[in-house]
Amino acid sequence: MSNRFIKFWKSYSIVIVVLVVAVIISFMAPRFFQFENLMNVLSNASVVAIVGLGMTLAIASGNFDLSVGSTAAFASCVSFSLVPALGIPLSILAGLITGAVVGLINGAIITELRVPAFIATLGMQTIVRGLALIYTGGKDLYLYGQTEYKVLSGNALGIPMPLIMALVIAIVLSLVVSQTRFGRHVLALGSNFPAAKRSGVQTTWVVWGVFAIVGVTAALSGMVVSAQVLTANGRLSTGLELSAIAVVVLGGTPLSGGRLTMLGTLMGALLIAIINNGLNLLNIPIFYQELTVGSLMLIALAINLSQGFKVSSLIRRPQ
Amino acid sequence: MTPQTPASQPVPAPPATLAVLEVRGLTRRFPGVLALNNVDFNVYPGEVHALVGENGAGKSTMINMLAGVLQPSSGSILMNGKPRVFHSTQDSQHAGIGVIFQEFNLIPHLSVAENVFINREPERGLRIDWKTMFSRTQVVMDRLSIDIDPRTTISELPVAQQQLVEIARALAFEAQVIVMDEPTAALSEHEVDRLLEIVRSLKTAGVAVIYVSHKLEEVFAIADRITVLRDGQHIITENAADLNEQKVISAMVGRTLIHTECPVRTPGALRLKVKDLCIEDRVKGVSFELHAGEVLGLAGLMGSGCDEVVEGLFGLRPITFSELTLNGKAVSIEGPRSAIRSKIGFVPSDRKQSGLLPDLSVKQNTSIGILERLRQGFWINQRQELKVAENYRTKLNLRCNSLNQRISGLSGGNQQKVILARSLAEDCDVLFLAEPTRGVDVGAKAEIYTLIDDLVAAGNAVLLQSSELPEIIRLANRVIVFANGLPQGELSGKDLNQENIMALATRTKGESHE
Repeated sequence: MSNRFIKFWKSYSIVIVVLVVAVIISFMAPRFFQFENLMNVLSNASVVAIVGLGMTLAIASGNFDLSVGSTAAFASCVSFSLVPALGIPLSILAGLITGAVVGLINGAIITELRVPAFIATLGMQTIVRGLALIYTGGKDLYLYGQTEYKVLSGNALGIPMPLIMALVIAIVLSLVVSQTRFGRHVLALGSNFPAAKRSGVQTTWVVWGVFAIVGVTAALSGMVVSAQVLTANGRLSTGLELSAIAVVVLGGTPLSGGRLTMLGTLMGALLIAIINNGLNLLNIPIFYQELTVGSLMLIALAINLSQGFKVSSLIRRPQ
Repeated sequence: MTPQTPASQPVPAPPATLAVLEVRGLTRRFPGVLALNNVDFNVYPGEVHALVGENGAGKSTMINMLAGVLQPSSGSILMNGKPRVFHSTQDSQHAGIGVIFQEFNLIPHLSVAENVFINREPERGLRIDWKTMFSRTQVVMDRLSIDIDPRTTISELPVAQQQLVEIARALAFEAQVIVMDEPTAALSEHEVDRLLEIVRSLKTAGVAVIYVSHKLEEVFAIADRITVLRDGQHIITENAADLNEQKVISAMVGRTLIHTECPVRTPGALRLKVKDLCIEDRVKGVSFELHAGEVLGLAGLMGSGCDEVVEGLFGLRPITFSELTLNGKAVSIEGPRSAIRSKIGFVPSDRKQSGLLPDLSVKQNTSIGILERLRQGFWINQRQELKVAENYRTKLNLRCNSLNQRISGLSGGNQQKVILARSLAEDCDVLFLAEPTRGVDVGAKAEIYTLIDDLVAAGNAVLLQSSELPEIIRLANRVIVFANGLPQGELSGKDLNQENIMALATRTKGESHE
């Protein structure tokens, strides 16, 4: 019985934490449970969740992507700039492709130049940020009146589009991980790289695939934010990588690789969004939000590590 | 065996009456294994005491306890008659024991002097007193008549000289006992001579040396006394003068075999033919033929190169050869993938490092190599996957609660069965097994042996690398013995016994003299 309780707690503790925090905040700030506010929270959570889900895959494969913030910015700038020429659907597609290409370059640096993911994506973070700023000349890009672009950030049947996208991505990636060869290879790679290689796993392709997916989710996340205000610029989504990693860790995906929980990542994103919203409602200055997120991440990481997982992906060298 | 009391030691030269180091009833238990069982051992000032035994005899366990890396389960360690307890390497060093491991404990980016005085840097106020440090290092070097500048960076020194730095370090903290673990494993013949000279000079300086090696020629060249361990037990301690290589070898391997006999096998078609295989600079001139329905063994002591042969043929190391055919067709093996595609299966020796996928389930660990075959469009055919895993669970008598259980929760023996199942599922013609029963309990070991027999009877060809002699004799029809990266000879039939393998494996000379 106690064993089953422990197992249940391990799998769903984050859900319970989210509920408890939500209840506490709703007592302190009754406005929290108003429909509009809740939708706002879900929308904010989804923006981080989308890229967090991609990051979950990267971390499960024993890697990291620190370039997602820059990728988000660059992809939305590319997408916005192409709207006049290509129209909205194709320009959104172009943004996603931009994300995938950045991801593939990340993958190539890791597998071909044998640079650890941590360093490779740290370098790319700055490079891609630079590209975004060069591409826009440091100016804002507006889509005057092109409200169709809001398809990414608006509502469908009263449900925020970002939420729908986050749920769809979570389901698709969960299926990919549990049901496909690629997914299995991702876990094998994260669990034991040399063993995966000796079992005939084409590690190079798997790494490229993982980073392409992370790139696409980063791009989508960036375009959603840009769509909300119909403005894109090169400074968009700064620090997104840390929020993304924070929600993965909060969700319970071990940084040692080989395991993941997409549900956990969704909940991690929700937790941070609820706390930030609560702090807003209580008129606590925005600076405290950073403090909270950072502390939460450290606490989650400490719990994560105390369960015997190691942060090996930070120092693991591709072979 | 009764422990040797100093009184029963007639010869050992030094007049000292008190052993500088003595261990009494030293025992170390690991889960499921008694690594060292009630061993008595001592060494006198100015004496070289060789500690020999097969792999797994308990030598390393004993060294680690002397070094303070491991703590004894029971028994005591006495320095100059006083019982000491070592909680750490520092404790052991303070007591006057310097251990030189096979893997050196040197910091490559620091200078010789910094390494010699690491953790004990002479200081003047808050600053390191470099002048004293360099001059004191020079004094130690002179004492050993070693010609190394204390200012040289360690990484610039060849291995043999790094080893001398280790010795110098032990002397610098005034070690009374220096333990050398396989000190010549990485040395050339000339360097070995140089090392033995230094050991002799340590001896004259009154330092006690515990010399751990399985190269018997060296042991007889340098040791005053020899102690043999086997399966964690003390077997003999005698004056080197009263022993010869033959006696030591039979003491090392002289266990009665609990395993059944190797079954009679009739080799079939030629599967794998290798001619003039070379692996980097480590292994040279390997040629053999492997037929269906037989087990070819590769034997040799640590560092002999036989494990590299298996890894090389699986594409894990760069190889060159004049001929390599599989089922009569020339193949090139560029990496594990192409090896697997050529129907070669490999069960690696270091299960944890390069076999297990610890976060994945038993089922997923079994199927990782055959997902392409289990694919149905985009998806893995889960029912088929379960069926395959279920099949091997029965076949290998795998004990687990569920096939969806994480493999890391299984016992070593059952983990190894899963890794075996992985290769078998790949449907290989040729199976490479490296240390197939390392870290596996006796029961599972017998099961794995039977399984290998069945596989071979079904027409598989097996290339077996094992450092356990009884195992290789139990399983293999023929055995190629390696030493120093060269095949020393092939044994089969009546000649295939532990004494003959050891005799070939302990040859120090590079060339085979037949």
